[in-house]
Amino acid sequence: MKTTKTLLRLGTRLAGTLAVTIGAMSIASAENVTLTVWDWKSGDPTTTAYYDKVKADFEAAHPGVTIKYVMQPHDQYYTLLGTAIAASKGPDVVLVHGGSQAKERIAALTKLDDKVADIRTRVAGWDEFAGPDGSVYAVPISIQGLAVYYNKELYKKAGLDPEKTPKTWAELKAVCEALKAAGTTCFALGNKEGYGADFFYSSAAANALTPAQQAAWTAGDLKWSSPEIKAIVQAWVDTQKDGWYAEGANSTAKFMDEYQSFERSENANTIGLLSDVAHWKEFDEFLEPQNVGVFVMPPVTASVNETLLMPLAGGIGYGVTKFSPNQDLAIALAKSFADTPAMQIFFEAAGAVPSDTAVDTSKVESPSAKVVLGSLSNGAALLHNNTSTAETEEWHRQSQMLFTGETTVDKAVARLDEVQAQAKKK
Amino acid sequence: MTEILTATDTKRRKAAAAAHADPGSRSVERFAYLFVLPALALVVVFRIVPLIWGFGYSFTDYDGMSAPRFVGFDNYIGIASDPVFLDSLVNMLILLATLPIWIGLPLVLAILIHQGVPGGKLYRAVYFFPAVLSSVIVGAIFNVLLRYDGSFNMFLKALGFSAVDWLGNSSTALFSLIAVQLWSTFGMSLLIFLAGLSTVPSDMLEAAKLDGAKLTQTWWYIVIPSIRPIIEFAAVVTTIGMLTAMFGLIYVLTAGGPGTSTILPEFLIWLEQGRMNRPGYASAISMVLFLMMGGLAAIQIRIMSRNASI
Repeated sequence: MKTTKTLLRLGTRLAGTLAVTIGAMSIASAENVTLTVWDWKSGDPTTTAYYDKVKADFEAAHPGVTIKYVMQPHDQYYTLLGTAIAASKGPDVVLVHGGSQAKERIAALTKLDDKVADIRTRVAGWDEFAGPDGSVYAVPISIQGLAVYYNKELYKKAGLDPEKTPKTWAELKAVCEALKAAGTTCFALGNKEGYGADFFYSSAAANALTPAQQAAWTAGDLKWSSPEIKAIVQAWVDTQKDGWYAEGANSTAKFMDEYQSFERSENANTIGLLSDVAHWKEFDEFLEPQNVGVFVMPPVTASVNETLLMPLAGGIGYGVTKFSPNQDLAIALAKSFADTPAMQIFFEAAGAVPSDTAVDTSKVESPSAKVVLGSLSNGAALLHNNTSTAETEEWHRQSQMLFTGETTVDKAVARLDEVQAQAKKK
Repeated sequence: MTEILTATDTKRRKAAAAAHADPGSRSVERFAYLFVLPALALVVVFRIVPLIWGFGYSFTDYDGMSAPRFVGFDNYIGIASDPVFLDSLVNMLILLATLPIWIGLPLVLAILIHQGVPGGKLYRAVYFFPAVLSSVIVGAIFNVLLRYDGSFNMFLKALGFSAVDWLGNSSTALFSLIAVQLWSTFGMSLLIFLAGLSTVPSDMLEAAKLDGAKLTQTWWYIVIPSIRPIIEFAAVVTTIGMLTAMFGLIYVLTAGGPGTSTILPEFLIWLEQGRMNRPGYASAISMVLFLMMGGLAAIQIRIMSRNASI
């Protein structure tokens, strides 16, 4: 009897142990999830600390979850993403550029509205990741924009006051004339892929268009042949004829040949970014912080704003693919990229202008960074972010042909009007 | 005569029927199919099926995200009036017009090497070397050489000439690309020609020499006719390569510009599919390119088979 009881007890214990073990195993397997993140930045040495922080914090808060970063080549990113979307397989979370790149892919991204309500006020830049109905599809992690960076030493050599920046197109022309007279190329320009032309028209349009005109542009109601835009296209041609750029712009890559030539002090100005690359932190490292200045490109026509506003937008952000089988975890991860401690590292190590308004930027010493950070409260729209991909591609081609003299401003804007009408179905 | 022929024919057919009826022969036949099957499966899965899919997508407005919607011939009508596509066709015709250089240059060099010019083995290795480099590496090398402030222009300036924006000027960009691609691939044709030249009967060459034929006469009347099938084969392979293997170089050297001056149909397909999110439209361009290449290859193969039967 005793032996039977002992056996029963042992059996019960064994069964219990087995049940607990199997249960634990099943829980572990349920939580043993890998979230795949696609981006073009995680391998960049300046962003390593930020990505490591997000991964460590998220994995600690979600036992059993592993984050796998897959860095794709930037110039192939949307081709690869398009293939993944078409196959409905691949990443759970994806990095996208704000503006047209995000907006043209919202059909493949999860709507985040109610899921991000708790961070909506802390994080800025949502508009660039919103659909036509205002719903948001990605969490912004940086603020992006365009500014003219300049080399103060070369300004001094040309007899210019390096602290007095041009506020009108006429003043900018005078600066370029002075630099040219001193034997210095006014602007670094790379337009091999057409990006130089993108940055030019977006910068020049920022203070030339009213908010209503910017909205009309986005909708396709403001044409390329409108006086405001045509003046910018004309200025693109005139500045080349006036010798603002070095020869060979059509065969110079903007990333990074143009910026490297600016960093080598071969030219005095360049239109750069606020975050990611070609920005204040990068130029500070090459030219010394006290030698780098920054200003907002004045409009070709009269400014519609009393003081010049920096063209700004949500830079890059993380969205969740609709086909991800781990929706809740993926959304939590997308949000965690905008957590304040990680964003602080993103700002300090990579020099990115963070979307998180809680990040402490008071300790920054770079004079150009101070100007950039001081301009964030009130910016103008970034025009090329609201231009369709078809128009952008055509502008790349037309901008090059305007330089080679194969087309005229009238023909170029007429062609661009056609593409705009087709893209916007107007 | 006719009777003899008919009798021979009947005998042959009977022998074939007997062989077919032989169970051992049938099993050998089946075994042979087994060997063909893996290659056939690869062709079907990676060529035929995507081709059929592409054909289907070419009649839709597929954007890679939403479900494809049937649009009939809209994409094909769009292509016919698309200035970028039409420019890419013009570029393609210019490229095809240079085919004689792609064949003539390696042929002449191969004949010279075959005839034993001093250092022939070294030249063969040197000419073939670029063929083992990927187009991206070749592009990166020539990017440095051909850029406005690159080595080539520095050399020109040293000689007192003005610099040329080889890759940034519409009148030079396509020819620069063609020259670079020719440099990087002609070694392969050269090897094919050398292999063909080794089959030319040496007694014929000796006979020509004894008869006092000049070098050019030997080339023209003996060497070239002897390797005509090889030349035609090289022409087909080179033509296909010209239309499908320029992407890497365009991507690295010019990105299709300036304007549309270096856009070829294959680059445009990538542009439409990848950057413009229009796989449906890109499929239609692919179909047109496929038909053009098929047509060109068919003409060339027809010429080859006609000459083979001579």
